[in-house]
Amino acid sequence: MYTLRARLARWVLGHRRLSFAIFGLITLFFAAGLPRVKLETVFRDLLPTDDPFVQVYKAHPNFGSPLMVMVMLRVKEGDIFNPVTLAKTWQFTRDIDKAPGVDHEQILSITTEKARYSEATPFGIDMRPLMSDHSPADAEEVADFRRRVDRAPNVRTFLISEDNRSTIIMATFIEDKVDYGTAFEYVEALAQGARDANTEVFIAGQPTLIGWVYRYEWQMVGIFAVTLGLLIASLALYMRNMVGVLTPILTSATAAIWAFGLVGWLNISIEPLLMIVPLLLTARSFSHSVQFTERYYEIYAHVKDRVKAAEITMSVMMAPSVLGIFTDVLGIVVVMAAPIPAMVRHAIFCGMWAVWLIPTGCVLISLLLATLPAPDNVQSLTGHGKESGVHRRIQRLLAAISSITHGPRAKLTSVVVVILSVLVVWTSSQIKIGNPVEGTNLLWNDSAFNQSVRAINGSFPGVNTLEIVLEAKNPDSTEWASHTVDAYETMTRLQDLMEKGPNPPRATLSFADYLRESNRLFNGGDPRWSTIDPRERAVSSAAIGAMMGSSSKNFSHVVDPSLQHSTVSLWYPDNKQETVDAALASATAAVAAVGVDHKDFTVRLATGTIALQEAVNRVIKRYQWVVIVVLNVFVFILCAFAYKSMVAGLILLIPVNLANEALIAAMHLLGVGLDTNSMIVAAIGVGVGIDYGIYLLSRICEEIQTTSGTPDQRWAMAIDSALRTTGKAILFTASVMVIGIIPWYVMSGLKFVADMGLLLIAIMGINMILALVVLPLIVWWVRPKFALRPNSLVSEGVDLALFTDGGVTGKI
Amino acid sequence: MYINRFDRGFSRRKFLNDAARGVLGAGVLMPLSEAISANGEINKAYPDELLSIEGYTKGKVKTGDIIDANNVQYVKDLLEPVRYEQILKQGRKLKIGKTTSEIMRLSPWEYIEATLRNNGKAGFDARGNVVNKADGQPWIGGNPFPDPKNGLELFAAQTLNWGRHDASFYAMKLYATDPGGDVRFTYTGGWCEYSPVARVSMEPMPYVESQKTKLRYQSVFFTQPQAYRGTSFLNIWDYDHSTFPALYGYVPEFRRIRQFPSDQRFEPLIPGLTLFLSDAWAAGDPLYTWGNYKIVGRGPFLAGLADGWASDDPNWEHKTHGGQKGKTFWDATVELVPEAIIVEAEPVKFPRAPIGKKRVYFDARNQIVIGMVTYDRNMKPYRSFDGAYSMYDQGGKKVMDGKHPYWSWAHVTSSDIQTGSVTRIEQVKQVEGVYQSGANDPAYYDKYLTQAALQRLGAS
Repeated sequence: MYTLRARLARWVLGHRRLSFAIFGLITLFFAAGLPRVKLETVFRDLLPTDDPFVQVYKAHPNFGSPLMVMVMLRVKEGDIFNPVTLAKTWQFTRDIDKAPGVDHEQILSITTEKARYSEATPFGIDMRPLMSDHSPADAEEVADFRRRVDRAPNVRTFLISEDNRSTIIMATFIEDKVDYGTAFEYVEALAQGARDANTEVFIAGQPTLIGWVYRYEWQMVGIFAVTLGLLIASLALYMRNMVGVLTPILTSATAAIWAFGLVGWLNISIEPLLMIVPLLLTARSFSHSVQFTERYYEIYAHVKDRVKAAEITMSVMMAPSVLGIFTDVLGIVVVMAAPIPAMVRHAIFCGMWAVWLIPTGCVLISLLLATLPAPDNVQSLTGHGKESGVHRRIQRLLAAISSITHGPRAKLTSVVVVILSVLVVWTSSQIKIGNPVEGTNLLWNDSAFNQSVRAINGSFPGVNTLEIVLEAKNPDSTEWASHTVDAYETMTRLQDLMEKGPNPPRATLSFADYLRESNRLFNGGDPRWSTIDPRERAVSSAAIGAMMGSSSKNFSHVVDPSLQHSTVSLWYPDNKQETVDAALASATAAVAAVGVDHKDFTVRLATGTIALQEAVNRVIKRYQWVVIVVLNVFVFILCAFAYKSMVAGLILLIPVNLANEALIAAMHLLGVGLDTNSMIVAAIGVGVGIDYGIYLLSRICEEIQTTSGTPDQRWAMAIDSALRTTGKAILFTASVMVIGIIPWYVMSGLKFVADMGLLLIAIMGINMILALVVLPLIVWWVRPKFALRPNSLVSEGVDLALFTDGGVTGKI
Repeated sequence: MYINRFDRGFSRRKFLNDAARGVLGAGVLMPLSEAISANGEINKAYPDELLSIEGYTKGKVKTGDIIDANNVQYVKDLLEPVRYEQILKQGRKLKIGKTTSEIMRLSPWEYIEATLRNNGKAGFDARGNVVNKADGQPWIGGNPFPDPKNGLELFAAQTLNWGRHDASFYAMKLYATDPGGDVRFTYTGGWCEYSPVARVSMEPMPYVESQKTKLRYQSVFFTQPQAYRGTSFLNIWDYDHSTFPALYGYVPEFRRIRQFPSDQRFEPLIPGLTLFLSDAWAAGDPLYTWGNYKIVGRGPFLAGLADGWASDDPNWEHKTHGGQKGKTFWDATVELVPEAIIVEAEPVKFPRAPIGKKRVYFDARNQIVIGMVTYDRNMKPYRSFDGAYSMYDQGGKKVMDGKHPYWSWAHVTSSDIQTGSVTRIEQVKQVEGVYQSGANDPAYYDKYLTQAALQRLGAS
């Protein structure tokens, strides 16, 4: 009669020392991997690898200036043309040159030699820095400086705002030298020193964003500690004994060591932005352990033998636990379908963490319970003591819920549920893809970074760029593709088409602009020389003229340092979806007009913030439903197998999918679009949420088999009983998870993390309600036959006589 | 045998003590200048451990050995940190040659003769310019401070005459490699230097009367890539050691000369290179635009002094190795320099310089620059320069400069340590068969160093 599970349980508990030793060795092995664990946010890994825009971005990472910090000094009163502000700009520029990891050749402001004006003289073309070797000290020098600025059109556009109140300092960092955290803190300190009653300082750019994220990731350590404290406190309150508290902590800690150690050995970095999922797993581990322990106490109360009780508990709890954990694993792992490297790594890390909950939450816990002394409050823990007021109120609530899911009220409830479901599905279908904010969705809208982005966007062409890349076909050629007539004319035509088309960008820039300016200056400065003859020699000479005496890196925003690839940069006022759609539509038409394939280069659409946002939107569009459908299929197969019924799979999937629809509908009503967060949450929502259904359905199956009377009476009694018992466990499980997530929402400075926390809380809550209402309702109407069959696979019930050779009898 | 008395510790103590006392006199066992004056050799001034790599490393490294990651630890103290790192991590290698003891193989013959002849005649005038003390006129040739007392004198001599010829033309090739080891840019062209003062080979000597207010004319032009053909720059230096040179650029298509800001000397002239104007010969700026010259150390060093000429190649082109693609570093031979003088200077007249200081290594025997490291404003190493000189007299092959074999530089390696880019430059025999390397040809001025010359080069 002994099943495999029972034989395994008997062997493990019969060889406790050996079993502990095996666990100890495995834990040591994984612990050795811990020093290799890397927590890092690799931003490009948050992008889908197969998207053509992302491929353009990865082929040309320099375009769009991902390593550039932009600092804007803005005066509150007057304009920047005064000795104080100009001196601040001078000093800030000098100081930022000392930032760790900065590329000294790529610092640009109105005070650097790279900001030049030019004039033709009888002795040639004279190129001078706008500012002489000190910042203007008096009114006369300021006036002279201003006169020079007026003769430098590019400076006017990109370094001094139209209202003369702001100026920009740009510093580019060396990718493999920069420590974003250190550089960020350094520039922040400079900004703090530069601020005064009349000067505001705003800092933007990707390195700054990364710096902010790093700063908040340290905050996560604190939140992690708070969360763990809360979970342990809730455990202590619930269990009120040392064993009950210690067992979940030890098993969860072991699973955590295995999970972190594995990624250490695999040399996979952990994405801190997704750390909330491991926290959710810790909460899951706690709630699994609590249920396991509670069941153990029930059995122990009967058999009075710790080892035997542990063996029985392991034997009966293993299958439902494994089933529940497997659905969690699926919910985490299925996001791997989307080709986003950070998600794949996350799926490996968290998916394996969930897998480790099986040996630790089924086997190790049994060993611990069999070894640690039994608590003295077993009677009250198993419900034989006096119930507290809270428990009574919960029971009343569950009874009330139960009453609307069967019997005469079921019809009305069903009508309401159906109407609400239709409304929910319709509302959710209105959701838009993409969740744009001006700046970054990683941080709160009112964060310093997003405020800076808005301020800079308000005064300058800004940070929302679309880059159309002219990619050289032969980058190793000695002839530079960016210096050809074809490239010059293509860049010029693309700019022209975009500027004259619908929804024109607020500014455009390409290498062609520098070539025209060079041509004008070398030919004496007359604006009529701002066109270039369509001859190879004329174009390449203009390019040489532009670059003479200057590092090619100074042009890396428009042409790559090897002078082969080039880009046309288009600035847009915001990154709202309408703007993104319009910009891409115009750009697609413009590229079609100039042609994709040229002799020396290919015109590739596109990179820059606008294109990358669209790439993320597209991956959500492509995979949001794929992930859910794939997950549904897997969970259906799993549940159908466990219950030996396809009907069971269908019954269980309805509430979780409805919960998902409800979440999306709520997001739509709140004006939030679908993004990466929602895709992860939806998958976890199905994977973790289905557990509630499994708990409840299994209990209904068990209860129906012990009831008698008319079918209506039997089903009603079964639902009633299941809701009052398992419903309480579901409430507890959901509560533990919410406790685990709430601090992340309340305390995180990272909007991404907080949003994910909020969405997880919401979907767990909705899942719980639907499991308690919709699932019993479906069972009431369907009255599935599989429920009437004994099914030891998903049952937590046990006939003690089978384990004690008749020594202890009874079913619990 | 006296050698046992003067072990490695003795030399180090001597260098340290002298540095502490502010004494610069070169030589360990006796003043170097006395040893050279006696028989033109340096051997008596230094103990054996400073005259051979075997002596210095106690036999762990021998002449003819290759220094690579496996044995670089034995010569770590003889390298500046950048070459050490490149050997350790980027596959750079150095072949060890014999230490040159004949002083006449370490500079052009006429320059050395003038140095000895004019010893003691140089001084600084009221403006700080190096002059002939006898008449206050510009310097009359050779090294004005062969027995330098401080860093300023070393730099003054270096700034006064870069290539140690009255006029030089270097046909050259430049290669810029990226951090991945790929050659991203290849240029060919020519570099010309011409001194109207301190002349020792070309008439009129010691200066051209009509040009004695000028220190130097120097131009560089390019023949390849095709897009850059005829593009050129001309630097005209005032003799006044505080005045910035005038800098002109020319692009043939425009047929116009363009004047550049004369104090903008920390940008590469053309794309891709890690060389700035300021870097030329470690003294690319007028003497007093830098300041706070101070000697910060002395000791033995590894540098390429006499065997850098690739005589096996018909065009003197060198082979490469190292980096990810085997193209990042020149194959180079270095020798143990018994005594290098390390001088630091700060860019005091460049309020926008990205440089905090430069540290330049001079060979005490002939005061020639053998290495330089520039530091950013956080005083972190930024860019490094090392190279090789050569007497063009090797294994029976010889290139003559008048009555004596040609002496010049052979190759230079410039590394941007922070970005990982490396620029290699080599002097080749000729470019396009027209532009031949050489020295002291009076025709250079009209051919390469006037605005008309630039326009003519552009049209060729």
